[in-house]
Amino acid sequence: MSVRIYEADVLVIGGGATGSGVMRDLALRGINCILIDRKDLNAGASGGNHGLLHSGGRYATADAETAAECRHEGDILKRLAPECIDDCGGLFVAVDGDDEAFAAKFPEHCRVAGIPCEALSAAEAREREPALPEAILAAYAVPDATIDPFRIVLENVGHAERLNDSSYLPHMEIEGFEIIDGTVAKALCRDRRSGEAVEIRALQFINASGAWAEKVARLAGCSDVSLLYSKGTLLISNTRVTNGVVNRLRLPDDGDILVPGGTVSLLGTSSVTVDDPDGIAPTVPEVDRILAEGAAMLPVLNETRFVRAFSGVRPLLKSAGSEADGRKANRGFALFDHEDQGLSNFATVAGGKFTTFRLMAEKAGDLVAARLGNAEPCKTNLEPLPSGDALRWTEPGAAARDWYKRADPTDMVLCECEMVARSAVDTILADAPGAEDHMSLKAIALRSRIGKGACQGAFCSMRVTSHLYDRGVYDSPDGLRQMRDFVNERYKGIRPVLWGAQMPQTELAEILHCGLAGMDLAAAEEGADSK
Amino acid sequence: MGAHSRGNTLDFLKVANDLLPDGASYDACVGCGICASGCPASGLFGMDPRRFINMAMLGMNEELSTTPWVWACTQCKRCAYLCPMGIDVSQLVGAARGAWATEDKPKGIVRSCAAQKLDESTSAMGLMSEDFVEIVEETLEELHENQPRFADLKVPIDKKGAKFVINQNSREPAVEPEEMAPLWKILDYVGADWTYSSKGWAAENFCMFTGDTEAWKDMVETRVDAMNALESEIWINTECGHSFFTIWQGIEKFGLTANFEAESLVTYYAQWIREGKLPVNSDWNKNNVKFTVQDPCQLVRKSIGDQAAEDLRFVVKTLVGEENFVDMQPCRSANYCCGGGGGFLQAGMASERRAYGKRKFDQVIATEADYVLTPCHNCHSQIEDVGDHFGGAYTVTHLWTLICLSLGILGPDERKYLGPDLADINLPEEE
Repeated sequence: MSVRIYEADVLVIGGGATGSGVMRDLALRGINCILIDRKDLNAGASGGNHGLLHSGGRYATADAETAAECRHEGDILKRLAPECIDDCGGLFVAVDGDDEAFAAKFPEHCRVAGIPCEALSAAEAREREPALPEAILAAYAVPDATIDPFRIVLENVGHAERLNDSSYLPHMEIEGFEIIDGTVAKALCRDRRSGEAVEIRALQFINASGAWAEKVARLAGCSDVSLLYSKGTLLISNTRVTNGVVNRLRLPDDGDILVPGGTVSLLGTSSVTVDDPDGIAPTVPEVDRILAEGAAMLPVLNETRFVRAFSGVRPLLKSAGSEADGRKANRGFALFDHEDQGLSNFATVAGGKFTTFRLMAEKAGDLVAARLGNAEPCKTNLEPLPSGDALRWTEPGAAARDWYKRADPTDMVLCECEMVARSAVDTILADAPGAEDHMSLKAIALRSRIGKGACQGAFCSMRVTSHLYDRGVYDSPDGLRQMRDFVNERYKGIRPVLWGAQMPQTELAEILHCGLAGMDLAAAEEGADSK
Repeated sequence: MGAHSRGNTLDFLKVANDLLPDGASYDACVGCGICASGCPASGLFGMDPRRFINMAMLGMNEELSTTPWVWACTQCKRCAYLCPMGIDVSQLVGAARGAWATEDKPKGIVRSCAAQKLDESTSAMGLMSEDFVEIVEETLEELHENQPRFADLKVPIDKKGAKFVINQNSREPAVEPEEMAPLWKILDYVGADWTYSSKGWAAENFCMFTGDTEAWKDMVETRVDAMNALESEIWINTECGHSFFTIWQGIEKFGLTANFEAESLVTYYAQWIREGKLPVNSDWNKNNVKFTVQDPCQLVRKSIGDQAAEDLRFVVKTLVGEENFVDMQPCRSANYCCGGGGGFLQAGMASERRAYGKRKFDQVIATEADYVLTPCHNCHSQIEDVGDHFGGAYTVTHLWTLICLSLGILGPDERKYLGPDLADINLPEEE
């Protein structure tokens, strides 16, 4: 059987914030990379988070070093990637029942970490955030912001691709490495969609696979990476609940942070230690607890419509006492050069925060550049992140505004909730990272707001699938199976928030998908075939 | 910021929270699109009701505050009637209209509202109270002279304590006063104790269409005060749709005290026929001329409900014969708006209005009816216009014309809205 072979200076493993950051960092130094992911961009923690660009306030009390890193990195990203960021500001608020002594120490902790922190009266806090309750014990304003984690990763990859023909290969799983005399010669991969064996030859290998970094390191024979998997669940509301970020001023717990995400808000998170980063899903008890905690800080959340819950796994570096409680683990990151494991061209960068991804990429990039004898310094702290035409559709409202402005009656809207038009989907098909690969409904959803509105894919899954058949992207019943998988995947997130308006919404989806399209019967037939 | 502050960008989600009942906020939308598929304004200016909601959810307040679609939506509430979640887009359209700067609003609507404010008559065609009284007296004099059978017919004005006070659309006194006579004859025939009011008599409210809630309220207050002063038991709204809705809804919306019941003339036509006071029948329709009816949104879906549609059908079937009546589909509360309401007729957007009205035209054509009967002046004008524009051969007629025709009391000069086929049918005998 033939083996597909790729070659590059560097193979970067993991299409999250860190991996895409490394790819861009190296491309800016003139180093050619291939980025691969077992699934697609942001499949792990980079896609399963609040989208909070931390001021550092959250860690000011327990981890001043991480807090200071967050502040510094947040400033850089605000300056260089403003189109990915909503500099909405944030509040830390202690409400009735919270520890006043803990709250009183907050300004001093912020001062030590270098985080601007302004004390607000209860009235001032409510003026900023009218949804706050009457009984506020303490409130401080900090420079929290939000970041579109999908946009920035797409832009990282898109920029690297344009800079020096670095490339991105989705659905590429590492199965092993060929190591000769302490040097990794090639990565042995499999294309998870075609089943083909693939070899990627490179001079340097960077493992930036987040929660899977320990597993990937072990495939290269390295036993020095030891991670703790902390599952976090979040809820997404149908509308934006607050103007800025609202944090509960206490030791981190469930339902402490409400973060705006453009036109929606994200509430979370839980922290549950799990054995395996794969196969996680939000549960009803988690959702109940997050909501109860969140509503203590913002009672309006009791009446808020939530459209979905989702989970991510934080890849935390193990430290003393962290086994039992992920919240006690270090939120810092580490770069493993694996030289003590007997390897000279393999490195792992792990841990850290979304907010500090650029710094993680810089450190990894410095190591790789030095190993390659490349003297170019890191430029990601100076070079603004450009914006690609096909990469701007993850921002809520962007597609809608674009469509309305162009007023082209022939440009059909495929997704009504988020108003994503055919033309926007076509730019993704043509130019978004991964476009040279087969761009499925799921891949388009990742690169746009398709499936993310109130209907959670009820209508747009069918319309976009139809469009992909029209465009010749799908040419077999596989497109229908992908549509069903997409809807099933959305349902995992809908199920824990099935109350209020989301219940009739979901019944409508069932009528469409089962009653009208017979997608459930198709599933049964397929099952019968395989048995 | 109030919902009707001028020239401002509204926060539509906030407006929706303020205006819409609990549980029916835009947040409840399931995106099913029933509203959009049944809205004749869908597609105009790239908009439809679902899109309006989604744009509000996406914070596209500037776009919603400036789209001319709010003048193409007739606020017919068909979307709200069908919405499984009970969401009413029309109220938000009203708020959006109100936020437009007056100079940017459609001039026809603004001018008509301004005319209404000129005088206590509240006439959009600028007829003052004394003009109205004079025109009524002159028209009555002509009637007395030309039709001796009605030589004693009386048209009371400002008769305190009359059982009914009845309003009058300005179009008749201003343009075609002879069209007032059929209604007078009917009231005379049934022996109704009625009166006009010289103040607030006009049956139109363009101020409501401008989205200026204060002006809407002023209009309704003037009229309610005038009717209260006459101490009538019942206010009967003439054959007009929105003039009923504006007062019926306005009394509740603005918390006004009305010492009278608000009723539709169609209800009384039906009642008088049932009581035998109005002995109409279809004997005159020997050629089996076919009729359909247009249910005015304002009178059926938006206010009285299907009972008004039933009364309308009872009256029409009695007049033309059951076998000569063909209903439009859909109809009653689910009827499509014709596109003449909400000020659209006066908004100067003819091509959009006709694109909207095409759906109604197709409905009418599908009935194969020769006549469309409708107790609404805006429906009347719009259905006539789209008929001319798209080449329909039907005729649009008031109910009073047909009632008098059936009774054999419709004079030759009162047949403007009949086709040549009925021009000579059942003429009054020469005396």
